Amino acid sequence: MKVLVAVKRVVDYNVKVRVKADNSGVDLANVKMSMNPFCEIAVEEAVRLKENGKATEIVVVSVGPSTAQEQLRTALALGADRAVLVESAEELTSLAVAKLLKAVVDKEQPQLVILGKQAIDSDNNQTGQMLAALTGYGQGTFASKVEVSGDSVAVTREIDGGAQTVSLKLPAIVTTDLRLNEPRYASLPNIMKAKKKPLEVLTPDALGVSTASTNKTVKVQAPAARSAGIKVKSVAELVEKLKNEAKVL
Amino acid sequence: MDFKLTEEQQMLQDTATRLVRDAYSFEAREHYAQSDAGFSLAFWQQLGELGLTAVPFPEDLGGFGGGGVDTMLLMTEFGRGLCLEPYVESVIYAGGLLMQLGSPAQQNLLQQVASGQLLLATAFEEPQSHYHLNDVQTRAEQTAEGWTLTGRKAVVIGGHQAGLILVSARISGDSRDEHGLGLFLVDPQAAGVERRTYPTVDGRKACDLYLDKVTVSADQVLGEPGQALAALRYQQGRAIAAQCADALGSMQEACRLTLDYLKTRQQFGVAIGQFQVLQHRMVDMRTELEQATSMAILAACYCDEAHSLERTRTLAAAKFIVTRAARNIAEQAIQLHGGIGMTWEYSLAHHAKRLVMLSHQFGDDDHHLKAYAALLDAA
Repeated sequence: MKVLVAVKRVVDYNVKVRVKADNSGVDLANVKMSMNPFCEIAVEEAVRLKENGKATEIVVVSVGPSTAQEQLRTALALGADRAVLVESAEELTSLAVAKLLKAVVDKEQPQLVILGKQAIDSDNNQTGQMLAALTGYGQGTFASKVEVSGDSVAVTREIDGGAQTVSLKLPAIVTTDLRLNEPRYASLPNIMKAKKKPLEVLTPDALGVSTASTNKTVKVQAPAARSAGIKVKSVAELVEKLKNEAKVL
Repeated sequence: MDFKLTEEQQMLQDTATRLVRDAYSFEAREHYAQSDAGFSLAFWQQLGELGLTAVPFPEDLGGFGGGGVDTMLLMTEFGRGLCLEPYVESVIYAGGLLMQLGSPAQQNLLQQVASGQLLLATAFEEPQSHYHLNDVQTRAEQTAEGWTLTGRKAVVIGGHQAGLILVSARISGDSRDEHGLGLFLVDPQAAGVERRTYPTVDGRKACDLYLDKVTVSADQVLGEPGQALAALRYQQGRAIAAQCADALGSMQEACRLTLDYLKTRQQFGVAIGQFQVLQHRMVDMRTELEQATSMAILAACYCDEAHSLERTRTLAAAKFIVTRAARNIAEQAIQLHGGIGMTWEYSLAHHAKRLVMLSHQFGDDDHHLKAYAALLDAA
């Protein structure tokens, strides 16, 4: 079984992001970039499927600037077999990324596609679902457990009321939640091996996909600073404030 | 000069950063420090499994042929996390000596060192030696079975946990002669070896080693007996470069914590970072840090070069600049924090102690300034 994993290059989760002075976007100059944590979980799940003998090949794909090769190399060091970069310097919408991934899926014909449920930069939570719609494959989003047996996959999903298990016919799309697994560290032997694994670079044009966006970013603003808390003297005062100031009761 | 890391170096750094961040929270470190080992055996094992204890060894000895810059990346992260493991002593210093002087049978031990299974320690200092590697009073006498060692070695970092300890001993000559030093692989369980363990100021553990007619077989001698000093000095140079990177990580963290504190702590209705005199001090700390960074990088680039006057001088200069910066930054960070900078429950206090410890290990600034001056005369 071939598994396709999509990864995104994002600002490292440990970095405090700053908005550019002209409010045109987030300042990315000299900021540490990493693989999106949910995508790390997706890579880890694919590697575990391979280690359990369920998967035979892991192809990792990223859509983004040429520097996203760093994240693809990291995925290769974590255990993926080969990488594909769809190079685009533009900032792409979820739909454009999903269309590009659809083109890669058509080319690679994987049985299972694993994506992070969302990227920590834009927090859209859209690409996996859009890809499922475009390919017509079944989708198991927010996965906390993935079990492949025969030509189906059982995905336990984290939902508001608890957990839901869905059975999907392969090929299928799975998006990972936080508790699916704990990603491993790239070991030095695997870092050295990653250098020799193949990394193919494609362009949206070569895939025949238009990435034209219908969205335009008007303004980016930092969230308002949190104001200091206050101490209340009594429970009655607390209830009064919750009722009349916060208006939550 | 290109300061950009290669993709592999970037990944190595990412692995080390994440590993230290996950395993070395302040509370976890406190727990490791209080344990019998004085560090985390599980973390050490993990370093071995991930291949990080194999970084500086050549591929035919079970390593990855990494250079000074690769080691620097690891050490900087270990310093940032205040890691307690004896990486410099076991992997860089003792491992380096085995690599340089070891017979093929002795070099087989390196595979165990590279995998983290065997921990080594270095016992080269004595109470009177005051940073001089040639000042050795411990005696080695040749016997029918090999050698017997008698004497006392001081501050053997990690010696209480080591599987083997490298001991320098005098075979001939007076106590400060440059010739006549031998290096021996001593089993700490052997008859006549006593270890007295104590905590060091920076929260690690060390021991003093008392040797009373300890028998060492001929195949436990490293290199040519009597000719050990050159290799000792060369490998101490590699250890100094790694230590500079260790200090660098700790200094970066001390500066980060201090800047954060200046922006947070309110006094007279404003953050204390608004006061110009404190801004000046913070700028001084950052200036020292930048100088130390440059020297640590230079040391990393030079440390694996063949022995030369230039290499020795560069490493002495790096140690001097980094030591001076480490002490200044530690002291200023405490001054800018006030009382909280010295509390046990706050990591800055431990960074300050670590930086003071690093300023003395392998020679303090006075020692290396003198060494540098002597080498200028020699040139």
